[in-house]
Parts: sequence; structure tokens; C-alpha cells
Amino acid sequence: MGALLQLEGLRRSYGPVVALDDLSFEVPSGQVVGFLGPNGAGKTTTMRAIFGLTDLDAGEVTWNSAPVGQAERRRFGYMPEERGLYPGMLVGEQVEYLGRLHGLSATTAADAAAVWMERLEIGQRRDAKVEQLSHGNQQRVQLAAALVHEPELLVLDEPLSGLDPTGIEAIGRVLVDRARAGCCVLISSHQLDLVEELCDRVTIIDHGRLVASGTVDELATSGPRRLEVRIEGERSADWARGVPGVTVSEVAGGAARLALDESADSDAVLRAAMAAGRVTEFSFGRRRLSEVFRESLQ
Amino acid sequence: MKVLITVLVAVLLVARIAFYIRRRRQGAERKAAAVEPPVPAVRTGRPHPQLHRIEHAFGDVGLVAGREIRERVRGRIFRVGTIIMLVGVGAAVVIPTIHSGSGPTPQRVGVVGGLSSDGRQVVAASAKANDDTVTLVNESSTSHAKADLRAGRVDAVIVDSDEILLDQPVNASTSSADSGLVNQVAQYLGVLRAYREAGLSASQVERINKYQPVAVSSLVSGSKGTNLSKGTSVIGMVLLFFMLTQYCTWILIGVMQEKSSRVVEVLLAVVRPIQLLGGKVLGIGAVALGQAALIVAFALAVGAAVGSNLLHGAAPLALLSELLWLVLGYGFYCWVYAAAGSTAERQDQVQTLALPLSLPILFGYIYSISVVSSGNANAFFKVLAFLPPTAPFCMSALVGLGQVTWWQFVLSALISVGATAGVALFAARIYRRAVLRTGSRVRLRELLRPAGSS
Repeated sequence: MGALLQLEGLRRSYGPVVALDDLSFEVPSGQVVGFLGPNGAGKTTTMRAIFGLTDLDAGEVTWNSAPVGQAERRRFGYMPEERGLYPGMLVGEQVEYLGRLHGLSATTAADAAAVWMERLEIGQRRDAKVEQLSHGNQQRVQLAAALVHEPELLVLDEPLSGLDPTGIEAIGRVLVDRARAGCCVLISSHQLDLVEELCDRVTIIDHGRLVASGTVDELATSGPRRLEVRIEGERSADWARGVPGVTVSEVAGGAARLALDESADSDAVLRAAMAAGRVTEFSFGRRRLSEVFRESLQ
Repeated sequence: MKVLITVLVAVLLVARIAFYIRRRRQGAERKAAAVEPPVPAVRTGRPHPQLHRIEHAFGDVGLVAGREIRERVRGRIFRVGTIIMLVGVGAAVVIPTIHSGSGPTPQRVGVVGGLSSDGRQVVAASAKANDDTVTLVNESSTSHAKADLRAGRVDAVIVDSDEILLDQPVNASTSSADSGLVNQVAQYLGVLRAYREAGLSASQVERINKYQPVAVSSLVSGSKGTNLSKGTSVIGMVLLFFMLTQYCTWILIGVMQEKSSRVVEVLLAVVRPIQLLGGKVLGIGAVALGQAALIVAFALAVGAAVGSNLLHGAAPLALLSELLWLVLGYGFYCWVYAAAGSTAERQDQVQTLALPLSLPILFGYIYSISVVSSGNANAFFKVLAFLPPTAPFCMSALVGLGQVTWWQFVLSALISVGATAGVALFAARIYRRAVLRTGSRVRLRELLRPAGSS
């Protein structure tokens, strides 16, 4: 049985503001778990609670069914949303230093830092100061610092924000590899397409409460059926709004994505579409994660 | 001495201003930098193995302290600042020696109408007292003597043991005559004239000349302080002031930067707040002590090499006392500055915080300098020497003046250590609650509320 991070009944209030409201979910090993929610939903507070950086009013964070203490946190890796690095410190020394704080010997930390910096393609910058690096390379340094001690749990707050496609691919590959190697990986992001591509499971919270959780497949196949219809010269999808049991999920790239409830008749939809113009595409599909997210928050 | 202190203060002020300008420039460059510059050509090298051993011995605290030591010592400001301070202290020790060691001043003194043996003794004694070598030149007449004066062949002329003639006024910068010698000879020749006019016999004159001053005693036990140890004490106090404010400001800015860069979240995910804070305080404290010890050792070595008067008598004791009070003062204030730094996350907030925190340091420093200069410490000042915020300066001043007993010194140090423990506990609590809170500056009132009420 693999490792498991469990969050049970987490509650945290800041005066009248409820940041976490009886929040419970799990992060199993071997999977990349996407942690989603709108701004102010409580994602960062939750991640900080895992590392004891937020005092909880109630609830508990456990690692393999035992409370999380300093010894356990040494085996975790953390990357906060904003750069958690010393701007004036040299890249190589910074990664080594954080590795040593996680319990590595000086030699092991130096070797591991070199390996991870090469892997994240920042080996050439090891003698530069962090503040001299671009945003994307700072992001890579931060990830190297979170990975240098080969953590059993990796918690990353917005690791993909502001990265170019190359950076996203490099970091995404590393995260998936770590998960496949048995690590628990929890990442938050607002880039839902990337999360859908990268993550095995997704947990969505709003106002500190859990609103949806499951594998990407489970969430994609649950809920109303999706129908994507493309009509030549038609970009508004107004033709579909009057069809019983049909709601317009989104209109993008000239195609309308429709959500069909139990009462909806797809033949009626096709007729309405043909009445609006020449139909060039008419296909059933899975729910996109962006749709799952949006519908979970409604 | 005042000139030396002024020079020293000026040098240190220039260093501070250079530090400030560099920080501003770096901040502006950081904002302006949009392109990643090339990797620097110079490799800074691996950490020193000895530092590794220290880090290992102290665990997490040692690792944090080791990083602080490495980063601070590596900084150009630290290196340049140390060199400037060494140069300043070296100058303060060496320049007076050069001045006093420039050799006797030759003086040619014309004599009109002869000079009695008493008169010759007066001239010889005055020359010795003023570090002059006097050559007496017989002049045939006053007019001839005046001609020699104008031509610069003699520096002064004694006319009939009753008058001294000079080419320029005695205090004029263009006068070649030593004013000290002239004034002293004039005074003693006047005394000899008074003896003659009083009709004293030779034995009576001799008896008067062998007078001894009466004893001077006070109701309170006497001061052992000398002008020399006072001077050394003042120089040490200037350094103490600059180092204390410098290193405590490092703590303040360091804590603020860790908070604003959010690196504190990564660190506190692994180490406890007290370990992080303790390591920072220990690391910067070690750098401060190392720099201060280097300067004191340098001052003592240079002083011994050039035979400086500034390091004679009680002066080395005063310097060592100031070194100890640098440690105690840093120990007390660093926690206060660290707690304050944890409530801020911007440079302007740091400046707002630093001013009120530095007021007790400034008060103790200025008051102590004035007391050392006057040589008298009143009861209020002696009370301040036992209060931890002002003790580093006031107790150092009392040591320089020789107006403190060993047990008073030890008692003040113990009070300071005890107060430091209390302040550290309080500061650690503030730090833990404030350093992870972002947004606007955290108010002290919010931090003092019981846990869970926020």
C-alpha cells in the first residue's frame, strides 16, 4: 500500500472570514492531484496547513494515518505560490542549502542539487543569483529546491503560472515522473486545460468547502452529456437556447458546447441546428475540466 | 582627539551612505532588469569546511547561521566596510603618534643685554617642556636683533631679561616662534623679575623653585580614568554605535526580506520559528563579533607597534569592555529588531520601524559621549548603566572613566543577560505570529491578542 496524505475536517477562520470549512480530502501516492478553486477559495490556506504554517481551529492533517510533525515535513517538498527563494543567493547554493535543511548531508545535497538542476535545465545558471534569472528559470529553481531531497509528498502552489510552453512541459514531465515513482503530488492551478492533461485526480473547493473530487475520468464522464455542434457562419449558439433540456456550456472557436440533461432529445437539437444553417460538426464528448469546475461552483 | 573622532565618524558615515546608495541602486536595477544577464565569470567557491562542521554541530540552527555568515561575509559592503573601519581605527591610533613623534622643533633665540643663569635655566626648562631645541644667539644691540628677526635668522629675542621680541604676533600662523615656548619663557622671566623686585635671597628663590603641589582628595573614591583611556573609550563607543545599529538593521532587513520573498514559508515548513530566528541572530552575531574582534585586535596590534598612547593604561580594558557590551547589546536589541522585521514586508515599513527602535541606542550613545567628554557621571547616568537598552554605552563610558567597580559591571551584565532572555521569548512569540501574515503591516495589538482570537 502506498503513502497517503489525509486532510480531515479542516477549519480555519480569520475573524468573520471562513477560510476552511470542514474540508476533507486525500492525496494518494502515485498520482498527480489537481487542487482547484476560485481565488480566495482556501487553496493556499490548505497547503499551508499541511506544513503547519497555519494554525487550524479544528481538523487534522495525517500522513499514513499519523499526525504530521517536523520529522514528516522534512520528507515533504513545498513550493509556495510566490517565489520562496532568497533573491540574492546563488542558485546552486540555495538548492543545496534547502536540501540540507531537509536532512541531506553536505555532499549528498550538492550532488542532488546538481542532478536536479541539470534535469530542470538550469545547470548553467548554478552560479547566478536567483534575482538575475527570468521568471521561468526562478520557477525551475524553486521546483529543484522542492525536489532536491526526493520528497515523499510534493505540494506545489501554482507551479505552472507564468511559464512558457517549454517550461510547462519540462515541469509537467517531472511532476508526472515523480508521481509514477510513488510520490504524492498535489498542485494548485488556474490553468484548467493543463491540469486536465497533467493530473490523475482533481479536488475542487469553494469558500473552504469541498465541492467536487474524483479522477479526471470520473468527473469528465459524470453529469449531463456534452454535445459539440458547429454550424457554418453561426457563432452565437442562440439557436440552441430554446431547445428543451439543453443549456449552452460555452461557445469557443465557432463551436457550441451544449449540456444535455435527461429530458433532452438529441434529434431535436440536430433539427434546431439544421434550421440555423449548414451543420459541419455534431458530436458527443466528455465534460471538460473547465466545465466541471464551472458547474461545481454554481 | 576631537579631530580624530570627527574623522572616524565621517569615515563611518561615508561607509553608511555608500551602503544606502548601493542598496537603492540595486533595487532600481532589479526593477529595471527584464533580461537575464550572463552567468558571472567568478565562482565564489564551496563553503568553508570549518563552517560545515559548525553547521553540523548546531543542527538546523547551525545551518541557518552558516548561511547568514556566508552571505554576509561574502557581501561587498561587509568587506569594504571592514576595510574602511580598519583604516579609520588605524588612522586614529597612528596619526597622534606621528604628530608627537615628529621630533623637537629648533628655535634660535637672540639675547640682548645678557641672560642670568636663572634665565638660561628658565629657557632650557621651557624648551624641554615644549619639545624644542633652543640655541641662544648673543645680539650686540636691539636694532641688530630686530634686523635678525626680520631676516629670519632668529625666531625670538630676549631683551635685557625683561622683554621678548617677535617678528609676528605670537599666535600668528606665519610666526616661526613656538608660541608655547614664548609664553612659558615670558611667564617665568616675569616670575624672576618679581623675585628680584621682592629682594629675595638666592636660597629663598631656590626654596620657592622646589615647591611641591598640595595633595588633592575627594570625598568619593577617585577616578582612575585618564584622558587617554577616555579617548579610546570614545572611539570604541563610536564603533559600538555604528556596529550595533548596522547589525541590528541587518536583522531587521533580513527578516523582512525573508517574509517578503516568501522564502520564510519554505523554511518554516522544515524548521521551527525559534530555530530560524536563532540561527539568523547567531549567524549575524558571529559576523558582528568577528568584525569587532578583528578591529580591536588590529587597534591593539597597531598601537603596540607604533607605541601609541591611546592604548596605554586602562584603554585596552575599555576596548575589551566595549567588545563585551557589543555582544550584550546585540543580544538584547537583535530580538527586538527581528520581531519588528517580522511585522513588515516592504522597505518603507522597515524605515518606519527602524527609527523608533534606534532612539534608545542613540540616546545612550550621545549621552555617554557627553559624559565621557565632561569626565563626570551623575547618578542618573549610573542608573542608565544598569538598564539593558542603555547599558552598552553607559557602562562602557563608566569603564572608560574608571568610575565603576567590577561587581557593578558584572551585575549590569547579568541584568542585561536576564532581560535578553525575556525579550527573546517575547520576540519569538511576535515573530511566529507575524512572519507568515502578509498584506498590510501587522499591528502589535493584533499580535498580542490571545491565540485563536484573530
